[in-house]
Amino acid sequence: MSNGSFYIDAIALLLPLSAAMVVTQANPYYSLITRGILGAVAALIYTLLGAADVALTEALVGTLLAIALYAVAVRSSLVMRLGVLQDEVPKNAATSTPDHAGEGTGNRTDDEAIAHPFNQLLTELRTLFNQYHLRVELVPYDNPQLLHQALLQKDIHATCVHASIAAAPYQLTTRVRRLYEILQAGLSPDLIQLNHVTVSDAAASHYQPSDIGSVLVGEEKS
Amino acid sequence: MHSNIIIIPMMVALLIPFYEAYRDDNVWQKLLAFSSIACKTALITLVASVLRDDWMIGVVGVLILSVGNAGLMLLAHIVKRVNEA
Repeated sequence: MSNGSFYIDAIALLLPLSAAMVVTQANPYYSLITRGILGAVAALIYTLLGAADVALTEALVGTLLAIALYAVAVRSSLVMRLGVLQDEVPKNAATSTPDHAGEGTGNRTDDEAIAHPFNQLLTELRTLFNQYHLRVELVPYDNPQLLHQALLQKDIHATCVHASIAAAPYQLTTRVRRLYEILQAGLSPDLIQLNHVTVSDAAASHYQPSDIGSVLVGEEKS
Repeated sequence: MHSNIIIIPMMVALLIPFYEAYRDDNVWQKLLAFSSIACKTALITLVASVLRDDWMIGVVGVLILSVGNAGLMLLAHIVKRVNEA
């Protein structure tokens, strides 16, 4: 063995350490970053053992390409698309995340925007779904028909509209059972009224505007 | 023997961002730790290539150093977009 074998053994211990860090991460974004650390350490060990080509492949494909692809996949899949009506949403609702709410410039427009009931609801939703590493993305629609059609066609996961006769100011309808359970457990009933709609695949693919009544057979109210 | 004197302090320095990545829960702190580890592993590769007088390893070290930073910028951009949305 060469005189470099001692530190190669020591560096090789970092590989199972970083692999254990990847496995024990719960947050998908954290585990992506830790996967990058694992790739860097693996490339170092391969190089020191003399496999320069393997190290280059690990750095280029295993770390760079895999992380970029997984980041795009995680970002596009861990999202709840919430359909809303264009004229019910305040203009800066999309940018007022819980992170920014505390560090606003304190001027009047920001205070009014935060105090708007829809933004309060959005903050509650984002806080709730942050525990499940889900983002909430607003998808505005022009009228209620388009909104409902998008829900039935599975373009969005839930709709949020003003409730006309209910006690709660907003009415949220979702087609995903698990989202309904999370919302029911995490939000108070006087903040929002929850509905669950069962959308069949046949209804989603062969939707006609006159079919609303037949599709909504599975609706249940909280 | 000379190689151990140079490499062992570099390995100890490599452990510091590992501890930081394990301990801190802020995503930017983790990304900083990743950046630190990526730079340090590439530099250890370069030092090892000089000590062994093996320039194939040196070329790989330079490529890992540059490509690792490019990947880091991609990842940081996506994480920033996630925090904004």
